[in-house]
Amino acid sequence: MSDTIRPAINFKEKALELLPEGASFESCLTCGLCSSGCPASGIENMDPRKFIRMAMLGMDKELSTTPWVWCCTLCKRCQHVCPMNIDISQLVFFARSNWPQEEKPSGIVRSCQLIRSTDSTSAMGLPPEDFVFVVQDVLEEVRVTQPAFKNLQAPMDKKGAFFFVNQNSREPMNEPDEMVPLWKIFDLVGADWTYSSKGWAAENFCMFSGDEEAWYEVIKKRVEAVKALGCKVWLNTECGHSYYTMWNALHRFGMEADFKLESLITYYARWIREGKLPVNSKWNRHNITFTVQDPCMIVRKAYGESIAEDMRFVVKSLVGEENFIDMQPNRSANYCCGGGGGFLQAGMTEHRRTYGKRKFDQIATTGAAYVLTPCHNCHSQMEDIGHFYGGNYGVVHFWTLICLSLGILGENERTYLGPDLLALID
Amino acid sequence: MREETRKFDTELAVIGSGIAGCAASIFALNRQIDCAQVGNTGAVAYTTGYLDLLGAIEESSAAVAKPWEGLAQLKNLHPDHPLSRIPVTDIRKGFDQFATFLGECGITYTAPRESNITALTPAGTLKKTLCVPATMAAGPEAFADKTPCVIIDFKGLKGFSAREVVANLQDQWPTLLAARIIFPDMDKGEIYPEVMARALEVPATRTRLAELLREAAGEVKVIGLPAVLGMHRPDHVRAELEQLTGLTIFEIPTMPPSVPGIRLREMFEQVFPEKGITLIPQQKVTALSFDTDGALLCLSDNYGPITIQAKAVILATGRFLSGGLEAHITGISESLLDLPVSQPPSRTDWYRDGYTDRRGHPIHKAGIDIDTSYRPLGKNGKPYNEHLFAAGIILAHQDWIRGRSGAGIAIATAYKAVEAAEKFLLAQHA
Repeated sequence: MSDTIRPAINFKEKALELLPEGASFESCLTCGLCSSGCPASGIENMDPRKFIRMAMLGMDKELSTTPWVWCCTLCKRCQHVCPMNIDISQLVFFARSNWPQEEKPSGIVRSCQLIRSTDSTSAMGLPPEDFVFVVQDVLEEVRVTQPAFKNLQAPMDKKGAFFFVNQNSREPMNEPDEMVPLWKIFDLVGADWTYSSKGWAAENFCMFSGDEEAWYEVIKKRVEAVKALGCKVWLNTECGHSYYTMWNALHRFGMEADFKLESLITYYARWIREGKLPVNSKWNRHNITFTVQDPCMIVRKAYGESIAEDMRFVVKSLVGEENFIDMQPNRSANYCCGGGGGFLQAGMTEHRRTYGKRKFDQIATTGAAYVLTPCHNCHSQMEDIGHFYGGNYGVVHFWTLICLSLGILGENERTYLGPDLLALID
Repeated sequence: MREETRKFDTELAVIGSGIAGCAASIFALNRQIDCAQVGNTGAVAYTTGYLDLLGAIEESSAAVAKPWEGLAQLKNLHPDHPLSRIPVTDIRKGFDQFATFLGECGITYTAPRESNITALTPAGTLKKTLCVPATMAAGPEAFADKTPCVIIDFKGLKGFSAREVVANLQDQWPTLLAARIIFPDMDKGEIYPEVMARALEVPATRTRLAELLREAAGEVKVIGLPAVLGMHRPDHVRAELEQLTGLTIFEIPTMPPSVPGIRLREMFEQVFPEKGITLIPQQKVTALSFDTDGALLCLSDNYGPITIQAKAVILATGRFLSGGLEAHITGISESLLDLPVSQPPSRTDWYRDGYTDRRGHPIHKAGIDIDTSYRPLGKNGKPYNEHLFAAGIILAHQDWIRGRSGAGIAIATAYKAVEAAEKFLLAQHA
């Protein structure tokens, strides 16, 4: 036996395992479509093509140590454009998992630890009793201050409810009033829903940290929470990766779940089509323009074109077709914003902004005044690159605009509206 | 977890997302046939953007100057070539419809003419083609007139060298010069045409580049650039750069991954669903079966299983790169239905000894046989199934690369396959 210290991962072996049926690296033309279409190309002197070629050359040590694996957002655009359908992000995931815990970006590791620290599965460590308190507190305030919603409900641990609704921790923790528009929408459409005091949180940084065991544990806790309440649908609210971590984990770990995973976007579109959400664009008297960001986690990596179409239907219904400008490219071909994969939490700000320049250019090209996106990471990243590169666009949640259109957006629920939108509220 | 198979019903299913598959969808749209298209990322992204009809006939070392006349010669020499089996009027209709559609969707092409265009390649060589994107049209014109011109390349861009283009063309185009500039905000490391093209969609980038181009052009009024003039609105980007610089500007295709191909693919992927086509891009059909009513296509995307029930199917799965054909030790097979493949008798006959043998290599004419109604033949020499049609370079008896006839075969056979499928569908309805 040689004494040479070898990395735990044989990247070539892994890469060969991951090839789709019938494909081979002999057929790879090293054409570079992957690298050409990757916003992380060039960061840390690495790109997807180089990564795969280095794997084929057995450069395991270099691949095991390159910090680029934390700059790749695992967005799978490289696979999407590859004629051989080679999944490079899986290799990057394995590379992440191979990093010693203490050397991984501490922000991602810490978020995963916090998720596991309470039954909430909250990356901000918000325990169940605090979540219950915040929801109740905000609800009581709305009932008092907004007479039209004096009977508003925010059910907690309601057994047999149809929807089990998750929530990104950012709302209860930092901006609790942002939960209210969502409750109002549920109220309006007569949804049978509930929060759960356990497993309610959306985010899952354990997946991004490459810790499969932790990822599994988090999802197990959430699945058990849905089962305990006997809900039919786990409804993912406006959060991208929460859906993917749950959906992918059920397949990956072969987990039993007798309920459906659905996205709130699908239901927004359905409720508008059914007339339950009577939104229109008449409020947009000044023809303020909007574009939409397709979160990789729910479009390219999961639902595909159907949810992208639903998203556009909802936006056009809200702002008027003539005021909607699509980003180019879009739908499954869209670029990751650079906020995914844990990049926002990884502490690599300069690299993250370099990555985000392509998204900034896409948004700038549309000339739109606002970007709508149903993803918190997209939201934060697009705000940050907007400020950094001198953009003058705003980023808004769908729920905000839905309630704006319906004339039911409370005063404390307008954080993300610029003066142009605020001026339209009577 | 509960997982449901998504089911689609359609009149016509097109399998393949290359030029043939996309052309078939366009022709189906024009004939108002309800259509679904499925196919993984094909070789479209590798195209130069040129639409060739016929640039060479293997018996002749001279390039074909007049392609429509060349088709008659091809028919005499190679009656089994797919283009030899199609009336010229139909080939014209196919090209007209295809180029018109692209133009209407934002990528303008020159109209097919009687003569081939002598077009430029990234290596500074010349090739014959029928139609070029409007963004490239001024290049062949400048070459024909030997107009003073500067070819400009960019620091960090691999696969396109202005000096190489000039070195190879200077004997024929003595007034050609080369220059290199730094693309705005891309002064470090390797840069890609795709990234440059997208950056040029931003007005501020165009303004900054225009200044650099004016400086590099000096007194010269015509400049050639690698194909990077925008991704989504190339005609607009070129027009605005011309306005900002006061120069005539043309693009030259680059090595893959090239912008003209990505432009086409992204355009198809956006426009087809808007026009009512059920498009499932980037996925391969894993099983295709037939019953008396039609065909059942099975596939999966990231989300889960999908089935498509169709009354007719066009197989446009390409050859080896796209996976329509597979090469094995024992021979070449068709990947989806194991259709018989016309091929050299044994593996040792696939290639001639000399790589550059002017006669080409027999493997490059391998493919499936069809009858006069574009139905692939089964092992018994009869149509495999009445619901099945085929188009594109999966068809046998043609070497499209040597013949400079890839788009020609794709478009013309797609036109005929859709025509045949429509006839079949109408008969079914009657």
